[in-house]
Amino acid sequence: MTSARVLRLAVGFYILLFFTYLFGPLIVMSFTAFNSSEFPSISPWNCVTPEWFGVLFKDQHLMGGLRSSLLVGIGVVLLAVPIGLAASLLITQLQKRARSIVYTIAISPILVPGVVLGISTLVFWERIDRVVLGVEDSFFYDGYFMTIIGQSTFIAAYAMLVFLARLQRFDPGLEEAALDLGATHTQVFRKILLPFLKPAIASAAVLAFLASFENYNTTVFTIVSKSTLTTVLASKVRYGINPSISALAVIIIGLTLVGAVIHEYLRRKEVAKTEALAAEGLPAPTRSRSGNRVLRVPVGALASLIFVAMLATAWIARDYDVAQCKVQVTEENRKKFDALKQQRLAEAKAKREANRQDADVAVETNQAGRQYQNIFAPTNLGSQIDSTEPSEPDSDATTAVETNQAGRQYQNIFAPTNLDGQVDSETKDE
Amino acid sequence: MSADVQLENVWVQFGDFVAVRDTSLTIQGGEFFSFLGPSGCGKTTLLRAISGFQEPSRGRVLIGGKDMAGTGPNQRPTALIFQNLALFPLMSVWENISFALEVKGVNKSVRRKKADELLELVALPGQGDKMVDELSGGQKQRVAVARALCAEPEVLLLDEPLSALDLKLRQHMRTELRAIQQRAGITFIYITHDQGEALTMSDRVAVMRQGTIDQVSDGTIVYDRPETAFVASFVGENNAFPGRVIEVTQGIASVQTKSGVLHAEVSAVSPLTSGDAGIVFVRPESVRFADPSALQNRLEVTVANQEFEGHFWHLVLQTAEGSVIRMSVMNDGERETYEIGSRIAVSFTAQGAIALAQGELAAE
Amino acid sequence: MAVWFRRFLARNGTMLSLYMLAAVALWMVLMIVLPQLFMLDFSFRHNWQQIDPSRMGGPDDVYTFVNYHFLAYGSPNNPDPFNVVDVTVFFRTIIAAIFVTLFDLALCYPIAYYLAQVARGGKARLLVLFLIIPFWINELLRAFAFRILFGEEGTINAILLSIGVLDQPIDFVREDVALYAGLGYAYILLMIFPIYNVVESLDKNQIEAARDLGASWARIHRRVVIPFAKPGISSGCTMVFMLSAGALAAPQILGGPSSLWFTQIIYQWFNTGSNWPRGSAYAIVLMLSCVLLVLAIMRIFKVKIGEIGR
Repeated sequence: MTSARVLRLAVGFYILLFFTYLFGPLIVMSFTAFNSSEFPSISPWNCVTPEWFGVLFKDQHLMGGLRSSLLVGIGVVLLAVPIGLAASLLITQLQKRARSIVYTIAISPILVPGVVLGISTLVFWERIDRVVLGVEDSFFYDGYFMTIIGQSTFIAAYAMLVFLARLQRFDPGLEEAALDLGATHTQVFRKILLPFLKPAIASAAVLAFLASFENYNTTVFTIVSKSTLTTVLASKVRYGINPSISALAVIIIGLTLVGAVIHEYLRRKEVAKTEALAAEGLPAPTRSRSGNRVLRVPVGALASLIFVAMLATAWIARDYDVAQCKVQVTEENRKKFDALKQQRLAEAKAKREANRQDADVAVETNQAGRQYQNIFAPTNLGSQIDSTEPSEPDSDATTAVETNQAGRQYQNIFAPTNLDGQVDSETKDE
Repeated sequence: MSADVQLENVWVQFGDFVAVRDTSLTIQGGEFFSFLGPSGCGKTTLLRAISGFQEPSRGRVLIGGKDMAGTGPNQRPTALIFQNLALFPLMSVWENISFALEVKGVNKSVRRKKADELLELVALPGQGDKMVDELSGGQKQRVAVARALCAEPEVLLLDEPLSALDLKLRQHMRTELRAIQQRAGITFIYITHDQGEALTMSDRVAVMRQGTIDQVSDGTIVYDRPETAFVASFVGENNAFPGRVIEVTQGIASVQTKSGVLHAEVSAVSPLTSGDAGIVFVRPESVRFADPSALQNRLEVTVANQEFEGHFWHLVLQTAEGSVIRMSVMNDGERETYEIGSRIAVSFTAQGAIALAQGELAAE
Repeated sequence: MAVWFRRFLARNGTMLSLYMLAAVALWMVLMIVLPQLFMLDFSFRHNWQQIDPSRMGGPDDVYTFVNYHFLAYGSPNNPDPFNVVDVTVFFRTIIAAIFVTLFDLALCYPIAYYLAQVARGGKARLLVLFLIIPFWINELLRAFAFRILFGEEGTINAILLSIGVLDQPIDFVREDVALYAGLGYAYILLMIFPIYNVVESLDKNQIEAARDLGASWARIHRRVVIPFAKPGISSGCTMVFMLSAGALAAPQILGGPSSLWFTQIIYQWFNTGSNWPRGSAYAIVLMLSCVLLVLAIMRIFKVKIGEIGR
């Protein structure tokens, strides 16, 4: 029993660690978006501020990149989804051998590194442009065109996998039934197959758009002189970072969460529907009721958590003045900086002071005592003070130590009082 | 409107495999015709050849006297009811039923009206707006029939449509289908491996074996006067006594079997002569407890088991040389029970048995 | 073939058949096969376009191994016996990608197993949803998050300094820790899902039977679960390996100043180096090595290519 509990604890801990790895970076990044610090970080927390969102929206490069990313994304959806659909339909009709050949070619773009796809697309259309058409910068050698083509090369394969998964559950009898009732082939496709594939088309389109939207490896080669959100982001992240990038991440994370909640809501509605059917005692694909109830709690909790967080933000923002906070932080920083500087200066001054006094004393004693110690006394003294060696084998040094100790006592006594005057004079000098 | 269906020397081959072998047959217009056979006998292939999903490799399919070669399933005057029904799950009941009109471009109100009429016909009034998933098995069945009828076919083809239903519902739907066929007045071609379905509903039954038709006749004749050993063993239960024909006199054959010489009628269609290898078939219900006077076809047996099935007792008997005989006794409340292991004598009349040439038997 | 085509036409009708064949042909020919062939062709050419465009198409425009030779031996006046920089970067990339793959496998197998066999109903679904959420977020932004965490003044250093574990910040970026953590993070999902899908289809009774027969947990995994999950494991490993060897964003953002990723060299040939043929040759070498390595490993573990991506 105890070993089972230990195991369960270990598993729980592992899952916790795993999800910390998964979400920790995103959470930290999200927080940096609200910190007024010029550099994205949370460790010196300055002020809560929404200003980076403003900076983000004013960033012409990023906004321009966003627009072209949307354009490219739409282009990819329009190209890759129909291709994926055609390929999935064809593959389901092929015989064993031909099917595996076509399937292998079709999924190869998923396995080929993205940079290779980008390069091959770039080289191919540049060649078409230059050699076949004999003109430069034609329609084909265009950043948007090549990016749409290059991304669609592998995104079409994703779409195909989505369709194949759905088609596996399709009953070919439905097609025959429709044909038998007099439908033409086109009608069968339009009225039977397409409606069946509609959810898959929707998910393939969303998948294609998102894959296009976040693609970098292929795009960076094919986009040529233009830029998409990812290429702008990449250059920003590499060269100059400020937290407006974090602000962008917060927006994307927010949208993703909203999407996830909607997805979950729709699914639950679906489940509820089949359950209602099952409750009437009719055959319907059913999921366990308890499973659904278990699910309802965490999703509800997540939604309410987000809601509470929004409320709290609004509440704090109500009587919170960023400008004031910033002034305060700047003031605090200045003070902190000043204090630090003063401390440093004070230390330096004290040291110098002490050195001077010790040196004086030492010189006196030296002069009173042995002549020859003069040679090394000034240099030696400082280190002796620092190391404060109580026992010195040399008898001459012993006297020196004694005087040093005298000097130290002095230093200890007047050092604190002396500091202010020194620092004042130093700061005035600046 | 109903049409004849003629098959002329139809062959269907898949590579080396012959699914249908040289089949010729005429199905009359308005007839309820069944193909009965074990799975893999080629009956579904034959149905697909009639509906147009499968072009025959050789031979012709004629519907209403017209050769159907090159005519696709969507242009034939046939409608098929699929084994799994193949109702469109994303459409409502009425949309399913009126699909054949939808593809012809008929407007919605006309379609709706026709669908409601058909729902009346199949005894599902007012269910048009439900989704298919909300129906029970029997209701789905009726919707499938209504959908097929909406195409106004001259021939309705049914591919084991009742196999997914439970026993009670299946028996009810048999009556229902027969009634619908009579109301609609069109040719029904029905495929099944269930002899009960074939015998109760059909005007005529074709028994198929390995791509060929063994016998075509009405249900009683198929049962009482089988023409081949396969039909005798596939349709209903039969006790088989293989042996050699000693002599045939006045339509009665004497066959030397392991259980002695047995006498049985000879089929008029497939006559036997002495020396042939033959099998004597006796139905369990034709086996009687032997009178002391009965000397012909008398067998001394041991009771091995007895099963009670309400209106019948089924006895499993064993002869001295080890063959098993099944016997059914009407439960008239007067019968004494037999201890397992007790020895009795049973017999049957020559008229209650039939002698056929040896051939392939149906798998148990 | 002709028979198949006739049946295909009959089954789909002219319009649909035309659409299917045209779309697939367009994809496979113009987008997959021809571009790869052109890139292959290009990698065997001189860079006349940049050096001297007038020599293009002339007698000097011939096939050459010069680009591949450069990758192996460097420029003619290279004093070393081989191209130390590029070759080192190449092998380091491959080895690091293998390391990232193994890291992900070790990290994800327990989670995939837990999700597929231990967690139930709603909880499992919710965890799967949580798994997916981070992967809708741009790869660059994820790398950026790691830069915030691992920077010299980043969160991790700040925490370690404040609790006194360190008295000097560690430069995680220079040490490549940030890069490996970021790459490993980037492809977690691609490792988990193939394994999850396979393990989910494993009959729970098999595990229980094995346990009933007295097998230890380690043995159950070694003898029952892992052999069953092999297609999923190899599929996940293949994808993670290919993607991390071919990654560009994460190395650009998280890579230390002195450590290059091979894709970055390719990028330089295309971008600042203006030598496309040489970049193409490098890309081909990268792709072929990765594919061959994957095929070799799949042969060792007896997995078929068709099982990938399911």
